[in-house]
Amino acid sequence: MDFRELVYGQKPFEGVFVFDVHGHIGFEQGSQLGPNDGESMVHTMDRMGVDGICVSFSPGIRGAWKRGNDQTKDTCKRLPGRVFGYAVPNPFHAECDLTPYFEEDLGFRGVKIHGNIQGETPENDPRYAHAFELANRLKLPVLFHAWMPYEVDRAADVASRYPDLNVIIGHGGLTFARDRAVAACKRYDNVFCDTAISSAPDGSIEWLVDKVGVEKVLYGSDMSFFDCIHTLGKLALAKLSDTDKEKILGLNAKKIFDL
Amino acid sequence: MLRFIDARCMLGERCIIREGDPNTKEAILELMDRCHIEKAIVYHAMARESELPAGNMALIGETAGDDRFIRQWCALPSYFGEYMSAEDFFDAMKQHHVTSMRLLPKTCGYSLRPHSIGKLMDLAAQCHMPVFIDLGTELTTDESYDLCKMYPEVDLVFGNSGYRENRRLGPILEQCPNFYLGTGNYVAHCGIKLFCEYYGAERLIFDTGLPTGSATAAVSLIGYAEISDEEKALIAHGNIERLLGEVRL
Repeated sequence: MDFRELVYGQKPFEGVFVFDVHGHIGFEQGSQLGPNDGESMVHTMDRMGVDGICVSFSPGIRGAWKRGNDQTKDTCKRLPGRVFGYAVPNPFHAECDLTPYFEEDLGFRGVKIHGNIQGETPENDPRYAHAFELANRLKLPVLFHAWMPYEVDRAADVASRYPDLNVIIGHGGLTFARDRAVAACKRYDNVFCDTAISSAPDGSIEWLVDKVGVEKVLYGSDMSFFDCIHTLGKLALAKLSDTDKEKILGLNAKKIFDL
Repeated sequence: MLRFIDARCMLGERCIIREGDPNTKEAILELMDRCHIEKAIVYHAMARESELPAGNMALIGETAGDDRFIRQWCALPSYFGEYMSAEDFFDAMKQHHVTSMRLLPKTCGYSLRPHSIGKLMDLAAQCHMPVFIDLGTELTTDESYDLCKMYPEVDLVFGNSGYRENRRLGPILEQCPNFYLGTGNYVAHCGIKLFCEYYGAERLIFDTGLPTGSATAAVSLIGYAEISDEEKALIAHGNIERLLGEVRL
């Protein structure tokens, strides 16, 4: 597989397993983004050769948690094997229990924590504990929105206290917090970084791989906010070996998402 | 093979650099090769970050003899004799084969209204010279509407648009035919396709934002966009070639 030639020829990433660990579906209140339903995203994934994506329902993070998780469940059901779900807790609703979403295989593969748009709730807040205990018991990945250094540090704290779950530092490896993310990845076996950020310069993924090792880096796009093409192209044209690219694009995720 | 001309690239030593980023001219040229970017419109980091007059002159030295770089100067309206007059600025651009200019109203603390930059913009209109400015760091999207309306004879290329701007961009695109959008940071899902469908590929200009942007992502966004080959060619190089081809210094 010569990834650069794929991009030069505008060919899909066929013959390689590609799994996107960082996706969003649903209406975005604050701004008009691109098509954000599961079917539209799968259309783009088909064009690009992306096998699967794990998503959370954005309005459910900001608003009604049960409706949000039910929307994710319905999307997973409509698009089995292509769209998987993150269940999202709400720290302000004591009745919020994510267990039912994992009692049978409804397509959920992890938990998403986005504290900064849930009343600036710290990522390691005790009100998320039930979600962490569930993830720890089921050995699930937990994707954190972690843009700032303190958000990365709190995600790392969760990794230290729940050693059987896997923490994914969303965005964090490549932003203002990349040094903190590197430190967390080195310190804890159960901490990983994803690649979902639009503004990271060329060279940043190579830098991250050099610092933390390729096994710790996961392909994430932030679709449907960003187009998944963005990071796929960045990875394909990166100065990394094709073997490393295959690990980042999907082989690493296969291990921690039970795919 | 799609060829690209990058409409937003900065050369020269910056204040803040990070390990791993393309921090040298050689690193930028290597990225251009890797991404099949034939040429880049370049301005100088010193002109943007610290010392505009010296930065503009440094650009001439650093691009001398290299036809892959298309020179761009940063503009400064001069009062109290601080910098060249507008007329002298355009004469110097002609002398040094500089074919576009960039506005830095926030960085350099000047107004975009006609009483401030009117002479510069009149001369740009006379020369059919495109004028570049970044959204976010230099003006808001709403202010870009005012700029287009104040200078309807000038083609304005707005870079650095985020992926969340469509609700603000839509009305401006409908009402300001001189508004062009750089694609480098316009990364919303299917954003390029939707833009072409509603406002036409003629209004999009390929750019990367190097060295802090990503050329690899920028070329991929256009190469894989669900649009026709003709539209891709316009965005990748055709539109900016047309704008620069009209410049008469």
